[in-house]
This record gives sequence, structure tokens and C-alpha cells, in this order.
Amino acid sequence: MMKLNDYTKSNELFRRALKVVPAGVYGHLGPASGCAVPISAFPLFAEKAQGAYFWDADGNRFVDYMCAYGPNILGYNDPDVEAAAIAQIKKGDCMTLPTELLVDFAELMVDTIAMADWAFFAKNGGDVTQFATMIAKAKTNRKKLVLVKGFYHGVAPWCQHIGYSGIIKEDVMNNFYIDWNAPEQLEQLVKEHPGEIAAFISTPYYHPTMVDNALPAPGYWEKIRKICDDNGIVLIIDDVRCGFRLNLKGSDYHYGIKADISCFCKALANGYNVSALCGTNEMRGAAEDIMYTGSYWLSAVPFAAAIAAIKKMKEIDVAKVVTEKGKKLTEGLVKVAKSHDFDLIVTGEPSMWYMRLGNDYPSTILHQEWVAECVKRGVFFTNHHNLFINAALSDEDIQFTWDVADEAYKAVRRMHPELNRN
Amino acid sequence: MDNVTKAKINLFAVLRNIQDLCELDDVSKDIIKDEKTSVSFNVPDVGTASLIFKDGKCTFVPDQSKAQLKLWFNSPEHFNKLIDGEKTIPMFINIFKVGFLLNTFTKLADRLSYFLKPTEELLKDRKYFEINTILTAYTAFFAMCQIGNSDEVGKIVASRIVDGDIACGIPGGIQVTINVTNGVMSARLGGSENPRAVMEFADLDFAHDLLNGKTSSYKGLGEGKFLIKGKLSMLDQVSKLLTMVGHYLM
Repeated sequence: MMKLNDYTKSNELFRRALKVVPAGVYGHLGPASGCAVPISAFPLFAEKAQGAYFWDADGNRFVDYMCAYGPNILGYNDPDVEAAAIAQIKKGDCMTLPTELLVDFAELMVDTIAMADWAFFAKNGGDVTQFATMIAKAKTNRKKLVLVKGFYHGVAPWCQHIGYSGIIKEDVMNNFYIDWNAPEQLEQLVKEHPGEIAAFISTPYYHPTMVDNALPAPGYWEKIRKICDDNGIVLIIDDVRCGFRLNLKGSDYHYGIKADISCFCKALANGYNVSALCGTNEMRGAAEDIMYTGSYWLSAVPFAAAIAAIKKMKEIDVAKVVTEKGKKLTEGLVKVAKSHDFDLIVTGEPSMWYMRLGNDYPSTILHQEWVAECVKRGVFFTNHHNLFINAALSDEDIQFTWDVADEAYKAVRRMHPELNRN
Repeated sequence: MDNVTKAKINLFAVLRNIQDLCELDDVSKDIIKDEKTSVSFNVPDVGTASLIFKDGKCTFVPDQSKAQLKLWFNSPEHFNKLIDGEKTIPMFINIFKVGFLLNTFTKLADRLSYFLKPTEELLKDRKYFEINTILTAYTAFFAMCQIGNSDEVGKIVASRIVDGDIACGIPGGIQVTINVTNGVMSARLGGSENPRAVMEFADLDFAHDLLNGKTSSYKGLGEGKFLIKGKLSMLDQVSKLLTMVGHYLM
């Protein structure tokens, strides 16, 4: 029997946090996101991280399949990325002028991302998805956006939902919503609103939380590209989550098309805070016309980290590495589940797969219990968010994960004698 | 916030509490012990509901106008004024039952108001605290469904909830099941055999604090006093409707 984690210090910190921080830990790293259920099974504070692991405030080690929700792609504290960042810290970070690294980084992005003729940098994914829609509106002189239901493009009011706290009807009144893999719905909207749609914005494949993920149907992206081309609509790919995990040249390239604007963040600098927007020459003028900036957007340290990260990602062909590791891990998890008569359903791309137990449809309670048992034994999954692979994940880590999964299924069986086989 | 939704909340969430009040509160029990009558409330654009008093019990029956005493209101606003405690006279049919309206019903309405408008002093009495919390919880869950079915934004929120039961309550204590079918919400007292999502309060004290804004769901989650499980996307939308209840009942 494996030892179960104790979260005494984590819980103590959370109690302190609740007094001085809204929601204790807000946003997607906290319990508010609903990705850590029951919360008693999850640590709430980390102390350190290295490679494929993080250690929580109580000293428990976890094989981390959330990878900071995407940024960790090479492994935490990658020596090459850290060396570049530390060298730049000694020289300067946030200064009155940008450094040469701005040009180096932009050149590297243009050289790396297939669709890119230029690159613009900010801090978070939401900074660049917001800027992308502004560019589209400036370029087309139109005000409507088309989004795919289940989307997540950040937390700006336009990309939230009516009925959510702080969001009013006017914030989202220029949005249209269509289903995933339904280009005919975009076509219909174009017919109904000729000359009104500025942009179609979407992730490269369908990866919302809480539902099975879905890849583009054959010909989907080609149809979308053509509708956009025929109607002067800017095609924005939100590659914030997928970027570099599917293809180093961009996920639009991976699926056989060329976006007008692509948004990157997360894996871009292996955890250093920088995001990037890449565009084609046709979008450059509109991007130049918009006043869009931030105090830390041209800081040099994240640029140095990003340059080192991209070079290393190219060197090791990271997308291939994390895809292969993801395939191996998930195939094994499905087998382990099967050995306990559980049906683990895996969807999405292997490097950032989504999984759920099919046995407990429609409630998902069994899946939550299984994930909780894994977390208590040192494998960090969340319940209903896609998971992430990083290049530092070893075969031993994968084997450990299978072992934990095995024991967790046994624990779930013990909790549910009614499920036991004859 | 619109008057029709507010009147629906007042009729199907606030007024329906009289049924539970007559079970929980000894004074109310005594008030109705010899009553054998029924009264219906008819509100344009809102609907009808009846309170039936028989054998020392009160039963709230939604969508029923058949009653010995029928009360008709001019408008949702007219009905809202009655519930808000403003002096207002509905049109009524059956002159012989006016005594019930002026006597028994007025006493029950005052008793309900007493329990739904607590003071810190009153809450020190454990029995009062329990009745207040139970009635507040019932009001919130039943009101939430009316918002999901009637309010402009509430309907959009409800349309995002997948079909199924949401079990809400305290283990071994009060239970309310919210059902959503094709975006239409309904509430019923009691548990669900096959809930798709679960929202559990550890005890009445935590339920009281949460429903009255004295604590947060995050604190409850962290302290293990508030448990959620199952189809969390349902609970995500439900929490937005519960927030709207506060706007309507403030």
C-alpha cells in the first residue's frame, strides 16, 4: 500500500490566504476552478519544482501532469533556460528601453512559426487574444466575432459569458457562437450578417474543460479557411494552450492551414512570463495602428528564457517527444483501467490529453474519486481539464503513474462494493 | 431584475414556505390546527398556487387555482407589494372566507416574515436559527429555479445546464433536488436517487453562514464544510443563479 499524502501545511496556508486573498487561491490554480474535487485530496500550495515533479508545501512529491497548466514543457528548471534567464537577470530586466533580445526573439518566432511575418510580445495569453481581436476589428472595420461554444480565450469581458459575475449583456453582444466542427454554421452566419464579421477565433482543436475533447474533422480547417478568405474574415488561432505541443511551426500548420493571426503563451518560455502574437504581413498595418502595451511586456529576462526554450524545443523536437510520451502513458492508463473493468476514455492530442471514466456517465463522480486517489498517492491530475506532458517525464515516472493508477482503481472499488465483479 | 420573476419567486419560493413553516414552527402549527380551508393566489403573467389547510397541516400546490377562497391580484407588482409587507388588498371571491384572510393567513404571513427577517438577537435561539436556515435554504433553491425559468439572463444560464438532478442538502438533514430538463428547472424537497451533481453542506451552521453571505463557498471547500461532486459544470451555472437570488430578494 502506498503512503497517502498529508496536507496539513497546505490547508493551514489556505486558511491564512482566505483572510487576505479573495477566494484564498483565485483563478485556475485554486479550488474555484472546479478542477480539484474533492479539494481534500489536493495540495493547494507548492514549494518547489524540478523536471517532471513539484513538491507541495508539506513536502509531498507529485509527478505533475498539469505542468503549471501548460507552461512546463521542457521540465521545471530546465538548465539551459535557467542559465539564459539568470545571465540576463545580471544584466537587467525591465528597463527604459528594450534590449536586443526583443529583435532576436521576434526573429526567432518568425523563423519558427510557419505563418509568422512578425511577432508582438505581452505577458499572458489573454493579452494576445484580446489584441488579436482588436487587430481583426481594425483591419476589417467590423465589430462581430465568431467563437466556438465551449471556448476559452482568457478572462476579458468579451470572452466570458452572460450571467457570469461582472459580465453585462453589452460585453458579449458582438459575439456569435457556433458548434465545433460545424463550418456550415459559420457559413450561415456569414449569409445572415454579410460584411459584419471581423474574425473567427478558435483553438486548433476542441479542448474545453469538463467535456471530451475533439480533433478537427477531415477538411474542417480548410473549409473554415476558405469561408474566411471568401468573406474577408480574419482567422485567429488561439494557440496559447496547444502551441509547441503539437508542432513547433504552429498548430495551424499542424492541421494544414495558415492562420492570419496566432496567439502563443504557456510553453513559449518554459514558465517565464511572456506571450506572443504572430501575424501575417496583411495584419501588420492594423497591429501598428493600435496602442497596446504594458509596463513589463518588453522585459528582457523572459525574452532570454523564451529564446533558450525555443532553441531547445527545436533541438530535441519537443512536440514529437511529448506526443510519444503522451501516447505511451495514456495507452498504459487505459490498460490499467481495463484490468479493473473500468473504461477510461482518452480524447484530444496525446501531449495534452483529456480523460474520464466512461463507467459513471452521467455524473463523473467515479472519475473524480479515482483522480483524487491518484493525487493522494503522488500523481497530480485534475478532474476535468486536459492534462499536459513535459519532456522531462521519464519511463520510471510513467511506470509510477501506472502503479498509482492501479492502486487508485482498487481504492475506488473498495469505496463502491456495488461495482465489484462477481 | 424584473417584476414577473420577482412575483414568481414570491409565489413559488417565498409563499410556499408556509407549508414548511406549519411543520417546523409550533406557533404556526397551533394557528392552523383547526383550519379546514384552501386559498389560491392568482397573479397575471405569473401563475397560480394554492395553500390547502387540512388536518393540522398545510400543503402548497403550485398551478392550482381551485380553492374556497380565491385571491386575484391586478399585476405582479400588486402581488409583490403584498409579500413585501405593504398594505394592499387583493380582489377576492368568497366573502365567507374573509375571516381566514384577515386572521389565520395574516398571522401565518407575520410568522413567516418573523422567520425570514432575522436579527442577531433572534438567531441566538437555536430553534429560531434552525427554522430560519431551513426556510432560507428552501427559498434560495426554489427561487433559483424561478430565475432560471423566467429572468432574461437566468434563462440563458439555465440553458447551459445539462439535464439531470442536482442533489443539495445536509447529510441526514434537509434535502432539495433541483431537476433540469431541456433548460427548464424545478425544485422538490427530498433527495435524488441518481443525482448528476451534488452540493453538500456539512451542517446547518455552515449552510446558514453561506446562504447569508457570512462565509464563502471557497472557505467551505477548504475547510471541508462544503462538498461538491459530479457534473461540476451544472454546479458552476447553479452558483450563478444563486447569486442572482440575492439580487431579487435583497
